[in-house]
Order: sequence, then C-alpha cells, then structure tokens
Amino acid sequence: MTKSKEETPSEEAEGPDGGVWAWVMVGALFVSSGFVFGLMRSLGVFFVEFVQYFEESAQAISWITSIAVAAQQFFSPMGAALCNAYDARIVVMTGGCLAGLGFILASQATCLAHLYLTMGVITGLGWGLVFTPMVVSVMGYFTRRSALALGLGFSSIGLSSFIFNPLFQLLVEKYAWRGALLIMGGLSLNIVPCGALIRRQKQSKAPAKVDSDGRSCSARLQRIYRYLELSVFVERPFLTFCAAITLFNAGYFVPYVHLVALSRHVGFSEYQAAFIMSVTGATDILGRVVSGWSAARGCMRMVHILILWTSLTGVFIILLPLSSMSGSYPVLLTVSLLYGFCGGALTSVVFPVVPQIVGVERMMGASGLVQLIESIGGLLGAPLSGFLKDVTGNYLASFVVAGSFLLLGCLILTTLPRFFQCRDPPPSSETFLG
Amino acid sequence: MECTWTGNQNKLPNITGYWKKDGNEIDSRLTVPLENEQYNLKGVFDIVGEESLGNYSCVFGSEAKIEFVLAAPQMGEVRDKPIVSYAGDSVVIACKMEEPKPKPSTWHWYKANGTDKALIDAAAEPHRYQIHSEGGKSTLTVRNLTQADAGFYYCGAVYLISTSLGRLEVRVITFLEPLKPFIAIVVEVLVLVAVILLYERKSKKKSITGSQKTKKEKRENSGGEESSSVRQRKV
Repeated sequence: MTKSKEETPSEEAEGPDGGVWAWVMVGALFVSSGFVFGLMRSLGVFFVEFVQYFEESAQAISWITSIAVAAQQFFSPMGAALCNAYDARIVVMTGGCLAGLGFILASQATCLAHLYLTMGVITGLGWGLVFTPMVVSVMGYFTRRSALALGLGFSSIGLSSFIFNPLFQLLVEKYAWRGALLIMGGLSLNIVPCGALIRRQKQSKAPAKVDSDGRSCSARLQRIYRYLELSVFVERPFLTFCAAITLFNAGYFVPYVHLVALSRHVGFSEYQAAFIMSVTGATDILGRVVSGWSAARGCMRMVHILILWTSLTGVFIILLPLSSMSGSYPVLLTVSLLYGFCGGALTSVVFPVVPQIVGVERMMGASGLVQLIESIGGLLGAPLSGFLKDVTGNYLASFVVAGSFLLLGCLILTTLPRFFQCRDPPPSSETFLG
Repeated sequence: MECTWTGNQNKLPNITGYWKKDGNEIDSRLTVPLENEQYNLKGVFDIVGEESLGNYSCVFGSEAKIEFVLAAPQMGEVRDKPIVSYAGDSVVIACKMEEPKPKPSTWHWYKANGTDKALIDAAAEPHRYQIHSEGGKSTLTVRNLTQADAGFYYCGAVYLISTSLGRLEVRVITFLEPLKPFIAIVVEVLVLVAVILLYERKSKKKSITGSQKTKKEKRENSGGEESSSVRQRKV
C-alpha cells in the first residue's frame, strides 16, 4: 500500500497495482486454490476404496466428485452475493470451515448417501464460498497486473495434484479412507487463514444506493438482485462473454478426460500415456505463470490475449488426434505439451477480462455468475465427447468438436463492442458499454 | 509330459533317458533312439492329489535336462500392503484368480493362528463373517472388528489337485491414530488465524495513532495543502 502513495495522481486514478499486501494475497490465493482444485482433482484416490467398502458401482461413486464440482460452481454466485452484502473475509473463512467440515463428516459415513451429502454438497458449497471471493479480492489489488497475480495464484492447481495424489495414497495406506478423509478435512481448514488475510478495501454495497427500510418483500428482492449482480444479464457484452466462456468450458476439459484413453487407443503403453498427462500438467503450470506475466506487460489488450491463447488451445486440441494418428510418440507429446501450455495460459486471463466488461464494482457478482453459467459447458462437454467417441469409434470427432467449441467461442468474443480497438478503454470509464 | 532333444555333436544312435521328480529318480531308465534327428522321451503320470505335484525333470544321458513345474494355478496379485480398518468398523478383503486361469471349485478362508491356519466358518458366525464367492473372485467381510481380528488371513482357491493360497494382512487401528495429526493441523490453523488477526490489530493501532499524529500536524499547519496520506493509509 505504500506504493500507491508514491504514484502520481494520474496513476492513482487507475487503481492500485501491487504493494506488499497484494502479493501476500496472491500467496493466499495460491494456497486456497491448491486446496480447492488440487483436492478436487485428487478425489480419485478414494475411488477404489469406496467401490470396495460400499460395494457400489463405479458410476455411483463417481457422482461424489460430480456433485462436489457442481456445488462449487452452483454456489459461486451465492458466495459472490454474500461478499457484496457482507465481508469477503467472513465468507471465505466460513467457506474454508465448511469445506473442512464436509470431509470430517465424510470420514464417519456409513452409506453412500452420506458421502454425497458431506463430501459432495457441503464441501462443494464451502469451495463455492471460497474460490470466487478469493479471486475477486486478489484482483481488487491489481489493475494491469491482475493476470500475473492470477497466473501465480492458480499455478498451485497443477502443483497440488502432483503433491496431493501421492500424499493421499500414503494416508489411505496408513489410516484407511476414514482417517485419510479426516486429515484432508484438517488440511482444508488451512483455507481459513487465507481468508483471514483478506482486508476490507472498498465500501461494501450495503449502504450505497437503495432504501434501507428493507423489510418489505420487494426491497429484499431488490437487494438480492443487487448483490447477485443480476443487472449484468441485460447487457449484451456480458451475455456475449458468458456464451464464449461456456463454449470454452465445453471443449477445454475434453483432453483431460480423454487424452490417456486416446494415447492407449493408438497403442502407447500405460506409462507413456501417464507421462503425457504429467508433462501436460507441468506445461499447464508454466503457461499460467508466463501468460500472466506477459499479459501484465500491457502490450496487448486482455481480450486479445485471451483470444490468442484460446484459439491456440483449440487448434492444438484438434491437432491431438491427428498427431496421434501419425503414430509417432514425440509428435503426440509435443502437441500435448503445447496444448497444456496454452490451456494453462488462457486461465490466467479469463477473470481479468470480467471487470473490463462489467466494471470493477460489479466484478464480484459477475464473476460468480460466470462460474455458474460456464458450468453448463463443462456438464455438457464431457458427455458429448464420450457420446461422439461411442458413435464414431474413435476420438477424432470428440477432439475436433471440442477444439471447434473453443474456436467458436473466440469468434463470439470478437463481437464484443469496441473489440478491434488497439487500446483498452480507460478503467475509470470501466465498461465496454458507454 | 513329453521332452524333445535335438542332441549334440555326437549324434549317438541311442541315449539313456529318465524322469526325476523333486530330484529323485522315478521309473527305470530307458533307452531313447535317435529318430528324425531328435530324441523323444515321453512320460505318463497319474495325478492323484497333492503328492503328485512338484518339479519334474526329464534327463537325457548326462547332458540335457528339461524341467516342468506341476502346480495348482497361482493366485494373481494379492495386496501386499496391510489393509487398515478401524475397531468397530468392518473390512472387506478380496482374492482373485483372474482369467485365463481356471476357476476354483470353491473358496476357503483361513485366519492365521500362530503358525496354524483356522478355517473361517461364515455360517456359524453370520454377524461377524460373510464370505461371498463367485467364480474367480471371493471376498471376506469381517464386521465389528477388534484387535484380535488383526493379523494374517489366507484365501484358498480349492482345486481337485490342491488349494492355492494367497496371504493378506489386516491391521486394526483406533480412531485415535489419525486424530493425532488431525488435531496438530487444527492447532496450526488456529495459531495462524490468531497470528494474522493479532498482526492486523497491531497495524491498525499503528495507523490510527499515525493518522492521529498527522491530523494534529494538519491542525498545527496553518492552511497548507490537504494531506492525502491519511486517506491512503486506510487503503
């Protein structure tokens, strides 16, 4: 915060862009993202244990993860709205407690339904209260360098799966799945100190505009409307952005789901396929950081950067089955590396575009809503790709369709107003609208 | 079993051949003629039971030996790490004889008792043991675990000629074991939160006294520019 003191008045109008506490917040985002998405990706360790103990089918067990992911995305707007109404710090700390509580209760489960409720709903709800508020809180400390901050903050997502997978394997071997879940619950509580680091920056939306004699139904609805930031839904730029991001989500995860199967399908061994995934994960981390750093240089507009990385990701997704058909392992490996890099790169710049579309003040609510809507893409994309594979017999159609979703999303983004301008509109005028 | 040997440089017209089982000669020595550049030695053995299994070898003169191992199908990969469960909870242990090995006629489960094996009778104690066997797979469910249930268990795939065994270890722990690291983590979290909140309270106090000082200075300065340092410190 001492930095903003030294800035000239014109830079001050731009907003804060760093400072000691800002980087502390990036560290908090690093830790909390790791505990949300890293854990989400490591739930597979329990799969075999649950199938054997509860004597249920694989599909029934895999619903646990699906419910948790869906809950995280579904409750994101609620988390954002609560931050608008109250304090982001309380919301994130509560979310951390809920996430931990979900796992702790799950350790006592005696039937599958218990796991759906605890590991699925409660933990997912906790994650929903954590992720969007943390991301938006961090973005509040940065203007031009928000992409770098997010890139660094999200780099833990890839790293934590490297760490958590073997760690949880060890915990399950030592303490069985009940003990492992208990300890995971404890680890999830580490999100709470991350939330404690959030400091109040701006006025909350509570007093500002409307009547505070809000006992009446309409006043309450009005407040909910404001907290959830539903006003963004009537604006075409936001709807355009949502449509594009939903398409991105429909295609983005397909390689994560099918790449190993594609490699095996073409004839590579289990180890070769697993190696491809590991290396893709490594370049994903690198892509996040490099993209964030280069976006912060400010040479290109954030929207243009997003389109650049996303279209490259789409192209490489389409190239994946084609390169596998060549039969050459180095070729497939190279394309996977490039896919990983570009896929990670685009994640750093998605959120920074939101305040440019809806304005800094509405960024919290809008981000929550984006999370909710993009989940539709994720929910539809994976089954569609599976269906295409079943119908055609190979993965070519699935990957080509996935890549084209990304390219189509890029085309949609070009319809944003003032897209072809070379400079970002000045932040004080905030939106793409006026 | 049949052995075929192409011989060495001296293609002797006849050579002695005999069978051995586990290192001991069985039957009498035979004279094996050279036919079509090969020596053929055939042995027919009746498999009556477990005693018929072992290492068979056919020997040609003092030059060539071929070994056969006659045994029941071996159990596939059985989990070598101990299976952990909690006192009062139940545990499911499984053995598998995977394709294309022949399926056993039945499965038996044993609990190790010192060096002995005690057969587990699920019918006698249905509330404690449950055995579910289906072709090449068998699972044993042990309920209401106590420390006494810990130890080695053997699953036996029963064939006509013998039984193939697999060994599994079960460990029973109480909830106190994972509770210890859990409490350590919770304490760490509470300490971190306390440190963070205390630090913030301290720095707020500093900024309040600091802003009070600058307010005093402002009042002391007649006129002068408005210092924006107060506003900025709040950020």
